[in-house]
Amino acid sequence: MSETARNRLMLAIALIMAAIYLFPLYWMYVTSLKSGSEMFANPPSFWPSSAQWQTFAFVWESRNMGRYLWNSTVIAFGSVALIALLGTGCAYVLARYRNVWVDIGLFLILMLQVLPASLMITPIFVGFTQVGLLDYPRFAVILAIAAKSMPFFVVLVRATFMAVPMELEEAALVDGNSRVGAFYKIVLPLARNGILVSAILIFMQAFGEFVYSKSMIQDVSLQPASVGLNSFMGPNTSEWNNIMAYATMYVTPILAIFVLLQRRIVSGLTSGALK
Amino acid sequence: MRRILSSVRDGRGFDIVLVGVPFAFLFALAGLPLIYNILMSFQEVDMFSLGSVIRPFVGVDNYVALFRQPETWPILTNTLIFVVGSIAGQFVIGFGLALFFWTNFPGASWLRGLFLVSWVMPGLVVGAIWNWILSGDFGVLNFFLRESGLITANIFWRSDPSFSLWAVVIANIWLGTSFNMILLSVGLSAIPGDLYEAADMDGANAWQRFWTITLPMMRSTIGAIIALGLIFTLQQFDLFAAITDGGPNNSSNVAQYWAWDLSFRQYDFGRGATISVIMTVFVMFAAAVYVRSTRHEVRG
Amino acid sequence: MTQQIELSGVNKYYGAYHALRDINLAIPKGAFVALVGPSGCGKSTLLRSLAGLETISSGDLVIAGERMNDMPPRKRDLAMVFQSYALYPHMTVEQNLTYSLRIKGVKKAEAKKAAEEVAAITGLSDLLHRYPRELSGGQRQRVAMSRAIIRHPKAFLFDEPLSNLDAALRVHMRKEIRALHDRLGATSVYVTHDQVEAMTMADHVVIMRAGVIEQQGRPLDLYDRPANRFVAGFIGSPAMNFIPARVAEDGRSVLLDLPGSQVLAIDFSLPPGHAVLVGIRPEHLKIASAGQSGFDVSIAAVESTGATTFVTTATTPEITFLLNERSSLEAGEKVRLTFEGKNIHVFDAESEQRLGT
Repeated sequence: MSETARNRLMLAIALIMAAIYLFPLYWMYVTSLKSGSEMFANPPSFWPSSAQWQTFAFVWESRNMGRYLWNSTVIAFGSVALIALLGTGCAYVLARYRNVWVDIGLFLILMLQVLPASLMITPIFVGFTQVGLLDYPRFAVILAIAAKSMPFFVVLVRATFMAVPMELEEAALVDGNSRVGAFYKIVLPLARNGILVSAILIFMQAFGEFVYSKSMIQDVSLQPASVGLNSFMGPNTSEWNNIMAYATMYVTPILAIFVLLQRRIVSGLTSGALK
Repeated sequence: MRRILSSVRDGRGFDIVLVGVPFAFLFALAGLPLIYNILMSFQEVDMFSLGSVIRPFVGVDNYVALFRQPETWPILTNTLIFVVGSIAGQFVIGFGLALFFWTNFPGASWLRGLFLVSWVMPGLVVGAIWNWILSGDFGVLNFFLRESGLITANIFWRSDPSFSLWAVVIANIWLGTSFNMILLSVGLSAIPGDLYEAADMDGANAWQRFWTITLPMMRSTIGAIIALGLIFTLQQFDLFAAITDGGPNNSSNVAQYWAWDLSFRQYDFGRGATISVIMTVFVMFAAAVYVRSTRHEVRG
Repeated sequence: MTQQIELSGVNKYYGAYHALRDINLAIPKGAFVALVGPSGCGKSTLLRSLAGLETISSGDLVIAGERMNDMPPRKRDLAMVFQSYALYPHMTVEQNLTYSLRIKGVKKAEAKKAAEEVAAITGLSDLLHRYPRELSGGQRQRVAMSRAIIRHPKAFLFDEPLSNLDAALRVHMRKEIRALHDRLGATSVYVTHDQVEAMTMADHVVIMRAGVIEQQGRPLDLYDRPANRFVAGFIGSPAMNFIPARVAEDGRSVLLDLPGSQVLAIDFSLPPGHAVLVGIRPEHLKIASAGQSGFDVSIAAVESTGATTFVTTATTPEITFLLNERSSLEAGEKVRLTFEGKNIHVFDAESEQRLGT
């Protein structure tokens, strides 16, 4: 078989596999466009007979999605800002040195990275209640997410800093910079892409965060979209087209960012987690 | 004071500030809760004593009572099934896909990356989609299974106690497979190509090359991925919330969901903390394995 | 002459590892000093300590009359050329050149003018708006040099700047760097592991091993009078031959430990029976003409580069010598070697230090 024929065959198989794997996503989009009766048709239809675009407007209005998404955005931005502010410097120091202290620090970071949110929420909730942080529930959630996700960010960004040659920073020092100046003018600009990609990953995680928000935010007007979706899905719901429309509006922005930056996100992710 | 300032500008002080503040933050928001968790697991904590640190000390009563509860062992068993089932599924499918995409045809890396959407989506959305796909009468999965002749009657994935846990496992496999595949792909591409050429010259066929070169060379990667899988699986919460809510009758409940349920639905924070402590020990163990597997990375 | 850089009693520890041991070194203004030695000898550590990238554990480091031990690099006013060049990849050549000036707050127009002047000297005028990744290895090297020159620093520090270039370009840049040094009247400290670079470029060569300065002095003095066996073997290519020997009864001659036990007169006296090493450079050995005295060896291998023929003998230890003409010698042949008495070096077999004058 010639090289091109083989490549075409492989590509065809790959496309089929991708189609199978991504079917649930397709099913979300298709369902969101179906009417109430078409949704329950048997056999199910795989292409909506008449797309019900008005479902989106209806769900947006009736579920008050603007408010939910705004809260998700506030929480995600707050977490990313806090994590980037604290985590970047930490990652830099852990990348720059090789000694016992760095090993211990890395070990602690990796250990914290793995603690499940659903286990940490009990002490965090009780502790936050006692210090009065639950009066500012979104801020409390931001703090909790920052503590949960910062280790992951540090691991990813550290890999980025390791790729910046030490000599560049040394050259900047000899050229008349202080440590602070060399960090801001040379090291940070060179690590910018890696930091950005890691921040986007953290943003995506925080945008979909559920456990902390569900447990700590009682006031509906402050809840993010994940909690909103959860309360939309009652135990015996039959509004699946509406729920899928909600889900569509919730994830499409995330998916768009991901598809646009796919290459960078994938390479950033893999450089940190393994290798 | 001036000396400290100049050290922050030019010397060690700069590093200490950069690393000290985040570690203080992490200690306050992760280290302290961990310790507090252990303390609470030895106390009686309910809605009324929530505000005070000094609460009735009950020794190991929480632990003893916990293991006397009839649902404890089934839930721990469920946790084990959930973990093993999810990891096995994610790993086997992920490895298969990684090997396929490793053949490197045009477009392979882009398509491979696309799979990762399952991993970047919010867990709750993944849960909602699968909840709908798995629904009993109108679920599209049942339709496919019926059409292919695998089943004759619909399976009530979410409400049948013998299937409810597997419903979550299926969703979790879908969610985690792509991440496994990406990491395995990295491991595969790190194997030097000349090893295969050498094995080829030595007369090994494709199957033998896989067993004698690929698998041994992937050992540390596989170890790390299994450990990561364990960590992620024990973190999984959203899918339970979105698909079965632990039911029916705890048939799909697992420890990490139960811990939350005890604290936030039954307001028994002491017992919730107890489960948390037990599970934290497990997770820490998995983390230690993970760190060991990637030690060459940590130490560079 | 005023000293530009002075090190006295400098030590550097990394934990328990003693990287620099009691270093004393004075570098006059305008001198070109080469630090040379095998890898791990401490030459780079010494250079980085001058730059302030490492802090010394004890001793004094004085630059232009000012004690600099605890000064951060930015206050030392030294320029450094790195082995990897360390060009800022996100800046153009011009931005790279003017970076230090901009930090000092020099006006934009002035910095631009300075960059153009330096670029004219180093032949970079057409490349000012390129990024480092768009340059060849040699051009990057020039940018690294220019970035140092533009500052008019108290001294230039070079950390193996030529090791990433190919052989021909290396020879060329060697001359160019030295010419620039003379033209600028600069003070330069140059780290290299290549003794040819050190010998050809420097006024003053410092040979280091295991954190210790083994010997320092003018290049040809080191060649003519190496202070110990290490220096003797390090300077010169191919390396000096060492033949074990014993001092004869009269104390004024030595017996080579080779078949035929040739006796060599020495012009100083040693205790009879004392074990020594006799060093003789390959270029000082000649094939004896008929009737001339010498020692007989059989040939093990003959390698010719065209201009020069390298011959190794089948003796223990192996002896190498050079012939500057084509030779019909073949392996297995026997020849008689001879040399002039003034060209031998005698080292103590135990301490490996030079004996006599």
